[in-house]
Amino acid sequence: MKYHSKFRKFASLTGAFLAICPSLMAQQTDFLRSTGKIYSVVAVIAIVFIGIAFFLYRLDYKLTKLENQIKNEQ
Amino acid sequence: MSERINIKGMWWKGLGVVLFLYVIVGGMMIPLKPGILSIQPGNAVNGDTVKLEVTGYNTHFLSGGDLRTWLKLDSSHFIQAFQIQATGETMCKATFAIPSSMASYTGVQPLTLILDNEVDGYSIQPNAIFLAINDSLSTGEGWDSSIDEPLHAMGQIRFPYRNILHETIRNTFFHIALWFAMFLLLLAGLWHAVMYLRQGLPQQDIQSAAYHKVAILFGLLGIATGSVWAKFTWNTFWTTDVKLNMTAVAMLIYLAYLILRNTIADEDKRARVSAGYSIFAFIALIPLVFVIPRLTDSLHPGNGGNPALGGEDLDNTLRLFFYPSILALTLLGNWMATLLIRYEKIREKMFYHS
Repeated sequence: MKYHSKFRKFASLTGAFLAICPSLMAQQTDFLRSTGKIYSVVAVIAIVFIGIAFFLYRLDYKLTKLENQIKNEQ
Repeated sequence: MSERINIKGMWWKGLGVVLFLYVIVGGMMIPLKPGILSIQPGNAVNGDTVKLEVTGYNTHFLSGGDLRTWLKLDSSHFIQAFQIQATGETMCKATFAIPSSMASYTGVQPLTLILDNEVDGYSIQPNAIFLAINDSLSTGEGWDSSIDEPLHAMGQIRFPYRNILHETIRNTFFHIALWFAMFLLLLAGLWHAVMYLRQGLPQQDIQSAAYHKVAILFGLLGIATGSVWAKFTWNTFWTTDVKLNMTAVAMLIYLAYLILRNTIADEDKRARVSAGYSIFAFIALIPLVFVIPRLTDSLHPGNGGNPALGGEDLDNTLRLFFYPSILALTLLGNWMATLLIRYEKIREKMFYHS
């Protein structure tokens, strides 16, 4: 149940993000193309960072579950 | 059973962080070489006097000393601008009297623009202007056979200026290095898979799986960063480029590895099947990523007959950051994998004890 509501929250947030993405992209394209397209490099670095942060978040989540399991057993 | 964690064994994690910081800071701070952004108008007819409006990038047309420019037809036909006027550091107007005799050329011919001053060195723009040739004499009169004065070279450490790429050449340190790091991590995963098949220790399966998971994450990030890079250079998030599609197939094969692991409940069976599958996936990866893209045309450098990782696409200034970036991302990936391994070992221990 708890997982379910979490998932719905995540899905609705993702949906909202995807919905505004095209208009955001259209506005940002000119900005990202300015100064020799330097901001697209910033976007690439941001993606790498988000990927690593996502990995850390997942590991954190899994460790918390394990910790709770250990706590319950004691 | 499990090894103790050694605090002194931290050094490579620090090295990874420091190197990645060096790559981000240095890779973003070093400017590009001066280059030519645009030239107007884009065409002319032989015999014309054309006034070209040149827009430069990172150039010093006003303060850079004696500014000279040539149009080049081929290696023995040049014309120098008879008048050149800088209207700003990045703007200048060059007037050329294009001869009416065009050697043996007919039809439409592209001319290359060469621009030179003391501070910026020389910049070259191929296909700067297209020349429509009408009734030309074949004498080659009016052209110089060479550039008489020597061109200047840019002495400072600068990244190469490439048309279309511009500043995005810096993505070399992130997008390409990610793929190299992914490949090294997959090799580590493969090594542990082979060791599992030889010795059958459960921790070897855990190690193999962890390296594969981090490598797959890096692969997905590689596709995402490549997609963004493509949007700003090839103007689309995804093309039918052979390397893109083959890499996508390779990634799907590796995603199937994750699904495979999740579907088998029995631990020994899961370890054996996934070790065998990872060997198959690696063998499939080699032709998909390294062989097939080289057999046909590809937008990626190093494929379809282009020289791989050389020339202006990866010169020595880029290597200064590219190789450290591969090392940094591999070390960070290794760190991530060891965290996963430690987590899985604790979990396994718990299940054995309970």
